[in-house]
Amino acid sequence: MNHYSLREFNLLVKAVLSEQLERSYWIIAEIGQINLHGNGHCYLELVEKDNNYVKAKARGTIWANVYRDIHPWFVSQTGTELKQGMKVLINASLEFHEVYGMSLNIRDIDANFTIGERERKKQETIQRLEAEGIMDMNQELELSAVVQRLAIISSESAAGYEDFMNQFENNPYGYQAKLDLYSATMQGDAASQSIIESLHKIHESEWDYEAVVLIRGGGSKMDLDCFDDYELCAHLAQFPIPVITGIGHERDQSIADLVAHTRLKTPTSVAEFLISRMLTFESEINDLQEVIGQQTKALIHRQTELINELNFRWQLNTKQVLQRSTFQLDQMSHLISHKPTGILNQHLLSLSHREKLIDAYNPKNLLTKGYSITRINGKILKNQKIKSGDELETQTLTKTISSTVNKIK
Amino acid sequence: MTKKKLSYQTAYDELKTICEQLESEEVDVDQITDLVKRANELVKYCQDRLRGIEKDLTAVSGN
Repeated sequence: MNHYSLREFNLLVKAVLSEQLERSYWIIAEIGQINLHGNGHCYLELVEKDNNYVKAKARGTIWANVYRDIHPWFVSQTGTELKQGMKVLINASLEFHEVYGMSLNIRDIDANFTIGERERKKQETIQRLEAEGIMDMNQELELSAVVQRLAIISSESAAGYEDFMNQFENNPYGYQAKLDLYSATMQGDAASQSIIESLHKIHESEWDYEAVVLIRGGGSKMDLDCFDDYELCAHLAQFPIPVITGIGHERDQSIADLVAHTRLKTPTSVAEFLISRMLTFESEINDLQEVIGQQTKALIHRQTELINELNFRWQLNTKQVLQRSTFQLDQMSHLISHKPTGILNQHLLSLSHREKLIDAYNPKNLLTKGYSITRINGKILKNQKIKSGDELETQTLTKTISSTVNKIK
Repeated sequence: MTKKKLSYQTAYDELKTICEQLESEEVDVDQITDLVKRANELVKYCQDRLRGIEKDLTAVSGN
Protein backbone atom coordinates (compact mmCIF):
# COMPACT_ATOMS: atom_id res chain seq x y z
CA MET A 1 0.00 0.00 0.00
CA ASN A 2 1.35 3.40 -1.00
CA HIS A 3 1.59 5.95 1.72
CA TYR A 4 1.11 9.62 0.89
CA SER A 5 2.27 12.49 2.88
CA LEU A 6 -0.50 15.00 3.48
CA ARG A 7 1.11 17.40 1.07
CA GLU A 8 1.42 14.64 -1.51
CA PHE A 9 -2.21 13.77 -1.02
CA ASN A 10 -3.31 17.38 -1.29
CA LEU A 11 -1.26 17.77 -4.43
CA LEU A 12 -2.96 14.64 -5.79
CA VAL A 13 -6.37 16.07 -5.03
CA LYS A 14 -5.31 19.33 -6.64
CA ALA A 15 -4.11 17.43 -9.76
CA VAL A 16 -7.31 15.35 -10.02
CA LEU A 17 -9.50 18.38 -9.55
CA SER A 18 -7.51 20.36 -12.04
CA GLU A 19 -7.75 17.52 -14.52
CA GLN A 20 -11.40 16.63 -13.99
CA LEU A 21 -13.09 19.99 -13.58
CA GLU A 22 -13.95 22.51 -16.24
CA ARG A 23 -12.06 25.73 -16.24
CA SER A 24 -14.97 27.55 -14.66
CA TYR A 25 -18.60 27.10 -13.60
CA TRP A 26 -21.63 29.33 -13.15
CA ILE A 27 -22.81 28.79 -9.59
CA ILE A 28 -25.82 30.19 -7.73
CA ALA A 29 -25.07 30.97 -4.11
CA GLU A 30 -26.02 33.28 -1.28
CA ILE A 31 -23.46 35.59 0.23
CA GLY A 32 -23.13 34.39 3.82
CA GLN A 33 -20.44 36.88 4.72
CA ILE A 34 -18.50 39.47 2.79
CA ASN A 35 -15.33 41.25 3.74
CA LEU A 36 -13.44 43.76 1.64
CA HIS A 37 -9.84 43.65 2.75
CA GLY A 38 -7.57 46.67 2.85
CA ASN A 39 -5.43 45.16 0.14
CA GLY A 40 -8.41 45.37 -2.26
CA HIS A 41 -9.23 41.65 -2.24
CA CYS A 42 -12.80 40.68 -1.42
CA TYR A 43 -13.37 37.59 0.67
CA LEU A 44 -16.73 35.89 0.76
CA GLU A 45 -18.40 33.01 2.47
CA LEU A 46 -20.86 31.45 0.02
CA VAL A 47 -23.73 29.33 1.30
CA GLU A 48 -26.80 27.50 0.13
CA LYS A 49 -29.59 27.46 2.65
CA ASP A 50 -32.88 25.78 3.14
CA ASN A 51 -34.54 28.31 5.42
CA ASN A 52 -31.84 28.66 8.06
CA TYR A 53 -30.28 25.29 7.53
CA VAL A 54 -26.97 25.50 5.73
CA LYS A 55 -26.86 22.82 3.06
CA ALA A 56 -23.54 23.82 1.51
CA LYS A 57 -20.75 26.25 2.16
CA ALA A 58 -17.62 27.42 0.33
CA ARG A 59 -15.10 30.19 0.55
CA GLY A 60 -14.82 32.55 -2.35
CA THR A 61 -12.37 35.25 -3.31
CA ILE A 62 -12.53 38.11 -5.72
CA TRP A 63 -9.02 39.22 -6.28
CA ALA A 64 -8.39 42.95 -6.22
CA ASN A 65 -7.71 43.21 -9.95
CA VAL A 66 -11.01 41.47 -10.75
CA TYR A 67 -12.93 43.28 -8.02
CA ARG A 68 -11.88 46.66 -9.46
CA ASP A 69 -13.56 45.66 -12.73
CA ILE A 70 -16.69 43.84 -11.69
CA HIS A 71 -17.66 45.83 -8.59
CA PRO A 72 -18.45 49.20 -10.30
CA TRP A 73 -20.27 47.42 -13.12
CA PHE A 74 -22.33 45.36 -10.68
CA VAL A 75 -23.28 48.42 -8.63
CA SER A 76 -24.16 50.50 -11.70
CA GLN A 77 -26.38 47.73 -13.02
CA THR A 78 -28.09 46.63 -9.83
CA GLY A 79 -28.01 49.83 -7.84
CA THR A 80 -26.75 47.89 -4.88
CA GLU A 81 -23.55 46.71 -3.24
CA LEU A 82 -22.66 43.09 -2.85
CA LYS A 83 -23.94 42.28 0.58
CA GLN A 84 -24.81 39.61 3.03
CA GLY A 85 -27.99 37.70 2.23
CA MET A 86 -27.82 38.52 -1.48
CA LYS A 87 -28.24 35.70 -3.96
CA VAL A 88 -25.69 35.89 -6.74
CA LEU A 89 -24.77 34.00 -9.89
CA ILE A 90 -21.01 33.78 -9.98
CA ASN A 91 -18.56 32.53 -12.51
CA ALA A 92 -15.82 30.77 -10.59
CA SER A 93 -13.07 28.30 -10.93
CA LEU A 94 -12.08 25.96 -8.19
CA GLU A 95 -8.78 26.63 -6.59
CA PHE A 96 -7.28 24.00 -4.38
CA HIS A 97 -4.27 24.94 -2.37
CA GLU A 98 -2.36 22.35 -0.52
CA VAL A 99 -2.22 24.57 2.57
CA TYR A 100 -5.36 26.73 2.39
CA GLY A 101 -7.68 24.13 0.95
CA MET A 102 -10.57 24.74 -1.41
CA SER A 103 -11.68 28.17 -2.50
CA LEU A 104 -13.76 29.55 -5.36
CA ASN A 105 -11.95 32.07 -7.43
CA ILE A 106 -14.66 34.40 -8.56
CA ARG A 107 -14.11 35.86 -12.00
CA ASP A 108 -17.48 37.39 -12.75
CA ILE A 109 -20.86 38.05 -11.18
CA ASP A 110 -24.03 38.13 -13.29
CA ALA A 111 -25.73 41.44 -12.44
CA ASN A 112 -28.90 40.44 -14.32
CA PHE A 113 -29.38 37.44 -12.07
CA THR A 114 -29.28 39.67 -8.99
CA ILE A 115 -31.67 42.15 -10.62
CA GLY A 116 -34.04 39.31 -11.49
CA GLU A 117 -33.68 37.78 -8.07
CA ARG A 118 -34.42 41.08 -6.42
CA GLU A 119 -37.43 41.63 -8.67
CA ARG A 120 -38.69 38.16 -7.78
CA LYS A 121 -38.32 38.91 -4.07
CA LYS A 122 -40.05 42.24 -4.62
CA GLN A 123 -43.00 40.57 -6.35
CA GLU A 124 -43.20 38.06 -3.50
CA THR A 125 -43.34 40.90 -0.99
CA ILE A 126 -46.03 42.73 -3.02
CA GLN A 127 -48.08 39.53 -3.26
CA ARG A 128 -47.76 39.03 0.48
CA LEU A 129 -48.90 42.58 1.24
CA GLU A 130 -51.82 42.16 -1.15
CA ALA A 131 -52.75 38.78 0.31
CA GLU A 132 -52.77 40.32 3.78
CA GLY A 133 -55.07 43.06 2.46
CA ILE A 134 -52.85 45.90 3.61
CA MET A 135 -51.38 47.06 0.30
CA ASP A 136 -53.83 49.95 -0.21
CA MET A 137 -54.58 50.79 3.41
CA ASN A 138 -52.52 53.96 3.58
CA GLN A 139 -53.88 55.14 0.24
CA GLU A 140 -57.40 54.93 1.60
CA LEU A 141 -56.64 57.56 4.24
CA GLU A 142 -57.65 61.13 3.51
CA LEU A 143 -54.86 63.64 3.19
CA SER A 144 -55.69 67.09 4.58
CA ALA A 145 -55.98 69.77 1.93
CA VAL A 146 -53.67 71.87 4.02
CA VAL A 147 -51.11 69.82 5.94
CA GLN A 148 -49.99 71.88 8.90
CA ARG A 149 -48.35 69.30 11.14
CA LEU A 150 -45.80 67.23 9.33
CA ALA A 151 -43.49 64.47 10.59
CA ILE A 152 -40.42 64.06 8.42
CA ILE A 153 -38.46 60.84 8.42
CA SER A 154 -35.03 61.46 6.99
CA SER A 155 -31.41 61.60 7.81
CA GLU A 156 -30.61 64.97 9.34
CA SER A 157 -27.50 65.34 7.23
CA ALA A 158 -29.12 64.28 3.97
CA ALA A 159 -29.07 66.77 1.13
CA GLY A 160 -32.63 65.69 0.39
CA TYR A 161 -33.80 66.83 3.82
CA GLU A 162 -32.14 70.18 3.30
CA ASP A 163 -33.74 70.48 -0.16
CA PHE A 164 -37.14 69.74 1.33
CA MET A 165 -36.78 72.28 4.15
CA ASN A 166 -35.49 74.98 1.78
CA GLN A 167 -38.27 74.38 -0.70
CA PHE A 168 -40.93 74.42 2.01
CA GLU A 169 -39.70 77.27 4.17
CA ASN A 170 -38.89 79.58 1.25
CA ASN A 171 -42.18 79.11 -0.54
CA PRO A 172 -43.23 82.38 -2.17
CA TYR A 173 -46.70 82.37 -0.58
CA GLY A 174 -45.45 82.47 3.01
CA TYR A 175 -47.21 79.23 3.97
CA GLN A 176 -45.99 77.72 7.20
CA ALA A 177 -46.30 74.35 8.85
CA LYS A 178 -44.95 72.50 11.84
CA LEU A 179 -42.09 70.46 10.37
CA ASP A 180 -40.68 67.90 12.80
CA LEU A 181 -37.71 65.74 11.87
CA TYR A 182 -37.66 62.14 13.03
CA SER A 183 -34.12 61.18 12.24
CA ALA A 184 -33.48 57.74 10.78
CA THR A 185 -30.87 55.83 8.85
CA MET A 186 -32.04 55.91 5.28
CA GLN A 187 -29.86 53.31 3.63
CA GLY A 188 -28.30 49.97 4.28
CA ASP A 189 -29.41 47.07 6.37
CA ALA A 190 -30.23 49.15 9.44
CA ALA A 191 -32.55 51.51 7.52
CA SER A 192 -35.69 49.42 7.70
CA GLN A 193 -35.59 49.03 11.49
CA SER A 194 -34.54 52.63 12.00
CA ILE A 195 -37.46 53.95 9.92
CA ILE A 196 -39.90 51.65 11.73
CA GLU A 197 -38.65 53.06 15.06
CA SER A 198 -39.30 56.58 13.79
CA LEU A 199 -42.81 55.56 12.77
CA HIS A 200 -43.40 54.30 16.32
CA LYS A 201 -42.13 57.60 17.74
CA ILE A 202 -44.43 59.55 15.45
CA HIS A 203 -47.36 57.37 16.41
CA GLU A 204 -46.68 57.84 20.11
CA SER A 205 -46.02 61.56 19.77
CA GLU A 206 -48.36 64.05 21.45
CA TRP A 207 -48.67 65.84 18.12
CA ASP A 208 -51.54 64.99 15.90
CA TYR A 209 -49.57 64.80 12.65
CA GLU A 210 -51.49 65.08 9.41
CA ALA A 211 -48.88 63.45 7.19
CA VAL A 212 -45.57 61.61 7.34
CA VAL A 213 -42.95 62.43 4.76
CA LEU A 214 -40.31 59.82 3.99
CA ILE A 215 -37.42 61.45 2.16
CA ARG A 216 -33.90 60.75 1.14
CA GLY A 217 -31.97 61.55 -1.97
CA GLY A 218 -29.27 63.79 -3.14
CA GLY A 219 -26.80 61.05 -2.34
CA SER A 220 -25.99 57.60 -3.55
CA LYS A 221 -28.48 55.69 -5.61
CA MET A 222 -27.46 52.53 -3.91
CA ASP A 223 -28.85 50.49 -1.14
CA LEU A 224 -32.47 51.20 -1.72
CA ASP A 225 -33.40 47.60 -1.00
CA CYS A 226 -34.60 48.60 2.44
CA PHE A 227 -37.58 50.34 0.77
CA ASP A 228 -38.64 46.94 -0.57
CA ASP A 229 -38.37 45.35 2.86
CA TYR A 230 -41.55 43.61 3.92
CA GLU A 231 -41.47 44.73 7.56
CA LEU A 232 -40.99 48.40 6.66
CA CYS A 233 -43.59 48.36 3.90
CA ALA A 234 -46.13 46.56 6.10
CA HIS A 235 -45.63 49.29 8.73
CA LEU A 236 -45.93 52.07 6.16
CA ALA A 237 -49.04 50.57 4.59
CA GLN A 238 -50.81 50.22 7.93
CA PHE A 239 -49.65 53.52 9.37
CA PRO A 240 -52.75 55.53 10.40
CA ILE A 241 -51.43 58.80 8.95
CA PRO A 242 -50.95 59.35 5.19
CA VAL A 243 -47.35 58.69 4.12
CA ILE A 244 -45.76 60.69 1.30
CA THR A 245 -42.55 59.34 -0.19
CA GLY A 246 -39.76 61.25 -1.87
CA ILE A 247 -37.14 58.56 -1.88
CA GLY A 248 -35.40 59.74 -5.00
CA HIS A 249 -35.53 56.65 -7.14
CA GLU A 250 -34.31 57.04 -10.64
CA ARG A 251 -34.78 53.49 -11.81
CA ASP A 252 -38.12 52.24 -10.61
CA GLN A 253 -40.54 52.41 -7.78
CA SER A 254 -39.91 50.73 -4.49
CA ILE A 255 -42.62 48.91 -2.58
CA ALA A 256 -42.56 51.77 -0.07
CA ASP A 257 -43.66 54.00 -2.97
CA LEU A 258 -46.41 51.54 -3.89
CA VAL A 259 -47.90 51.37 -0.39
CA ALA A 260 -47.51 55.07 0.36
CA HIS A 261 -50.49 57.41 0.19
CA THR A 262 -48.66 59.58 -2.35
CA ARG A 263 -45.35 58.90 -4.04
CA LEU A 264 -43.17 61.59 -5.47
CA LYS A 265 -39.71 61.41 -6.94
CA THR A 266 -37.70 63.83 -4.88
CA PRO A 267 -37.86 65.63 -1.53
CA THR A 268 -38.20 68.91 -3.47
CA SER A 269 -41.23 67.59 -5.31
CA VAL A 270 -42.78 66.53 -1.97
CA ALA A 271 -42.45 70.11 -0.68
CA GLU A 272 -43.83 71.45 -3.97
CA PHE A 273 -46.74 69.04 -3.75
CA LEU A 274 -47.67 70.16 -0.20
CA ILE A 275 -47.28 73.85 -1.05
CA SER A 276 -49.30 73.39 -4.21
CA ARG A 277 -52.14 71.82 -2.20
CA MET A 278 -52.09 74.80 0.15
CA LEU A 279 -52.17 77.17 -2.83
CA THR A 280 -55.06 75.29 -4.40
CA PHE A 281 -56.93 75.43 -1.12
CA GLU A 282 -56.33 79.15 -0.76
CA SER A 283 -57.41 79.75 -4.35
CA GLU A 284 -60.59 77.79 -3.76
CA ILE A 285 -61.28 79.79 -0.61
CA ASN A 286 -60.68 83.03 -2.50
CA ASP A 287 -62.96 81.89 -5.31
CA LEU A 288 -65.65 80.93 -2.83
CA GLN A 289 -65.29 84.25 -1.07
CA GLU A 290 -65.79 86.02 -4.39
CA VAL A 291 -68.78 83.85 -5.23
CA ILE A 292 -70.32 84.54 -1.80
CA GLY A 293 -69.77 88.27 -2.34
CA GLN A 294 -71.39 88.19 -5.76
CA GLN A 295 -74.27 86.00 -4.68
CA THR A 296 -74.94 88.19 -1.65
CA LYS A 297 -74.95 91.32 -3.77
CA ALA A 298 -77.29 89.72 -6.27
CA LEU A 299 -79.54 88.48 -3.47
CA ILE A 300 -79.71 91.90 -1.83
CA HIS A 301 -80.41 93.51 -5.19
CA ARG A 302 -83.23 91.06 -5.93
CA GLN A 303 -84.75 91.49 -2.48
CA THR A 304 -84.54 95.28 -2.72
CA GLU A 305 -86.38 95.18 -6.02
CA LEU A 306 -88.96 92.85 -4.56
CA ILE A 307 -89.51 95.10 -1.55
CA ASN A 308 -89.73 98.18 -3.75
CA GLU A 309 -92.33 96.46 -5.86
CA LEU A 310 -94.32 95.36 -2.82
CA ASN A 311 -94.04 98.86 -1.36
CA PHE A 312 -95.38 100.30 -4.58
CA ARG A 313 -98.14 97.72 -4.69
CA TRP A 314 -99.41 98.26 -1.18
CA GLN A 315 -99.33 102.02 -1.65
CA LEU A 316 -101.23 101.71 -4.88
CA ASN A 317 -103.71 99.27 -3.40
CA THR A 318 -104.34 101.29 -0.26
CA LYS A 319 -104.76 104.40 -2.39
CA GLN A 320 -107.30 102.54 -4.49
CA VAL A 321 -109.12 101.32 -1.37
CA LEU A 322 -109.26 104.88 -0.01
CA GLN A 323 -110.36 106.27 -3.35
CA ARG A 324 -113.08 103.65 -3.67
CA SER A 325 -114.29 104.31 -0.13
CA THR A 326 -114.26 108.06 -0.72
CA PHE A 327 -116.22 107.60 -3.93
CA GLN A 328 -118.80 105.40 -2.20
CA LEU A 329 -119.13 107.96 0.60
CA ASP A 330 -119.53 110.77 -1.92
CA GLN A 331 -122.27 108.83 -3.66
CA MET A 332 -124.09 108.18 -0.43
CA SER A 333 -123.57 111.73 0.69
CA HIS A 334 -125.08 112.95 -2.55
CA LEU A 335 -128.01 110.60 -2.09
CA ILE A 336 -128.58 111.81 1.44
CA SER A 337 -128.54 115.46 0.49
CA HIS A 338 -130.85 115.08 -2.46
CA LYS A 339 -133.11 112.15 -1.90
CA PRO A 340 -135.10 113.45 1.12
CA THR A 341 -136.08 116.62 -0.78
CA GLY A 342 -137.23 114.41 -3.62
CA ILE A 343 -139.31 112.30 -1.31
CA LEU A 344 -140.92 115.39 0.27
CA ASN A 345 -141.60 116.86 -3.14
CA GLN A 346 -143.33 113.67 -4.19
CA HIS A 347 -145.54 113.78 -1.09
CA LEU A 348 -146.37 117.45 -1.77
CA LEU A 349 -147.23 116.69 -5.37
CA SER A 350 -149.46 113.87 -4.31
CA LEU A 351 -151.25 116.13 -1.80
CA SER A 352 -151.75 118.77 -4.45
CA HIS A 353 -153.36 116.24 -6.83
CA ARG A 354 -155.74 115.14 -4.19
CA GLU A 355 -156.60 118.72 -3.31
CA LYS A 356 -157.46 119.45 -6.92
CA LEU A 357 -159.58 116.33 -7.15
CA ILE A 358 -161.44 117.26 -4.02
CA ASP A 359 -161.94 120.75 -5.34
CA ALA A 360 -163.41 119.41 -8.51
CA TYR A 361 -166.17 117.75 -6.52
CA ASN A 362 -167.16 120.91 -4.60
CA PRO A 363 -170.89 121.70 -5.63
CA LYS A 364 -170.17 125.32 -5.20
CA ASN A 365 -168.04 125.15 -8.31
CA LEU A 366 -171.06 123.70 -10.31
CA LEU A 367 -173.41 126.49 -9.09
CA THR A 368 -170.85 128.99 -10.28
CA LYS A 369 -171.02 127.51 -13.72
CA GLY A 370 -174.88 127.98 -13.75
CA TYR A 371 -175.91 124.59 -12.49
CA SER A 372 -178.52 124.40 -9.69
CA ILE A 373 -179.53 121.88 -7.07
CA THR A 374 -183.18 120.85 -6.67
CA ARG A 375 -184.39 119.34 -3.43
CA ILE A 376 -187.69 117.84 -2.40
CA ASN A 377 -188.55 117.63 1.19
CA GLY A 378 -184.97 118.69 2.01
CA LYS A 379 -183.44 115.92 -0.09
CA ILE A 380 -181.63 116.29 -3.40
CA LEU A 381 -184.02 115.42 -6.21
CA LYS A 382 -182.79 112.39 -8.02
CA ASN A 383 -185.34 109.69 -8.84
CA GLN A 384 -187.98 110.14 -6.13
CA LYS A 385 -191.60 109.96 -7.24
CA ILE A 386 -193.07 113.36 -7.58
CA LYS A 387 -196.60 114.54 -8.43
CA SER A 388 -198.27 117.77 -9.27
CA GLY A 389 -198.56 120.09 -6.40
CA ASP A 390 -195.28 118.93 -4.69
CA GLU A 391 -193.19 121.75 -3.35
CA LEU A 392 -189.64 121.96 -4.78
CA GLU A 393 -186.74 124.09 -3.60
CA THR A 394 -184.11 125.10 -6.18
CA GLN A 395 -180.74 126.48 -5.12
CA THR A 396 -178.66 128.60 -7.48
CA LEU A 397 -175.36 130.32 -6.85
CA THR A 398 -177.00 133.32 -5.34
CA LYS A 399 -180.65 132.36 -4.59
CA THR A 400 -182.97 129.68 -3.26
CA ILE A 401 -186.20 129.50 -5.28
CA SER A 402 -189.41 127.76 -4.10
CA SER A 403 -191.77 126.31 -6.76
CA THR A 404 -194.78 124.03 -7.18
CA VAL A 405 -194.97 121.11 -9.64
CA ASN A 406 -197.63 121.68 -12.33
CA LYS A 407 -197.02 118.95 -14.76
CA ILE A 408 -194.76 116.03 -15.08
CA LYS A 409 -193.68 114.81 -18.42
CA MET B 1 -123.01 110.14 17.32
CA THR B 2 -122.95 107.48 19.97
CA LYS B 3 -120.37 107.66 22.69
CA LYS B 4 -119.15 104.18 21.86
CA LYS B 5 -116.31 104.37 19.36
CA LEU B 6 -117.56 103.47 15.93
CA SER B 7 -115.56 101.41 13.48
CA TYR B 8 -115.46 102.55 9.91
CA GLN B 9 -117.16 99.34 8.83
CA THR B 10 -120.07 99.71 11.32
CA ALA B 11 -120.55 103.35 10.32
CA TYR B 12 -120.38 102.44 6.64
CA ASP B 13 -122.92 99.61 7.04
CA GLU B 14 -125.35 101.87 8.90
CA LEU B 15 -124.96 104.55 6.28
CA LYS B 16 -125.58 102.02 3.54
CA THR B 17 -128.81 100.87 5.26
CA ILE B 18 -130.08 104.48 5.47
CA CYS B 19 -129.29 105.00 1.80
CA GLU B 20 -131.10 101.81 0.84
CA GLN B 21 -134.12 102.98 2.88
CA LEU B 22 -134.10 106.33 1.12
CA GLU B 23 -133.61 104.70 -2.30
CA SER B 24 -136.53 102.35 -1.81
CA GLU B 25 -138.69 105.40 -1.06
CA GLU B 26 -140.58 103.44 1.52
CA VAL B 27 -139.27 105.63 4.22
CA ASP B 28 -141.47 107.02 6.94
CA VAL B 29 -141.63 110.75 6.25
CA ASP B 30 -141.61 111.55 9.96
CA GLN B 31 -138.21 109.82 10.24
CA ILE B 32 -136.57 111.58 7.30
CA THR B 33 -135.16 114.42 9.37
CA ASP B 34 -133.64 112.05 11.91
CA LEU B 35 -132.32 109.74 9.20
CA VAL B 36 -130.68 112.55 7.26
CA LYS B 37 -129.22 113.98 10.41
CA ARG B 38 -127.76 110.59 11.37
CA ALA B 39 -126.58 109.97 7.81
CA ASN B 40 -124.69 113.26 7.71
CA GLU B 41 -123.01 112.41 10.99
CA LEU B 42 -121.95 109.03 9.60
CA VAL B 43 -120.63 110.55 6.35
CA LYS B 44 -118.55 113.01 8.29
CA TYR B 45 -117.23 110.30 10.55
CA CYS B 46 -116.28 108.05 7.63
CA GLN B 47 -114.61 110.91 5.74
CA ASP B 48 -112.59 111.82 8.82
CA ARG B 49 -111.51 108.20 9.25
CA LEU B 50 -110.39 107.96 5.62
CA ARG B 51 -108.45 111.22 5.83
CA GLY B 52 -106.87 110.08 9.08
CA ILE B 53 -105.82 106.75 7.54
CA GLU B 54 -104.42 108.54 4.50
CA LYS B 55 -102.40 110.82 6.72
CA ASP B 56 -101.10 107.86 8.79
CA LEU B 57 -100.08 105.99 5.65
CA THR B 58 -98.13 108.96 4.37
CA ALA B 59 -96.35 109.21 7.72
CA VAL B 60 -95.62 105.45 7.86
CA SER B 61 -94.31 105.15 4.29
CA GLY B 62 -92.26 108.31 4.74
CA ASN B 63 -93.46 109.79 1.47
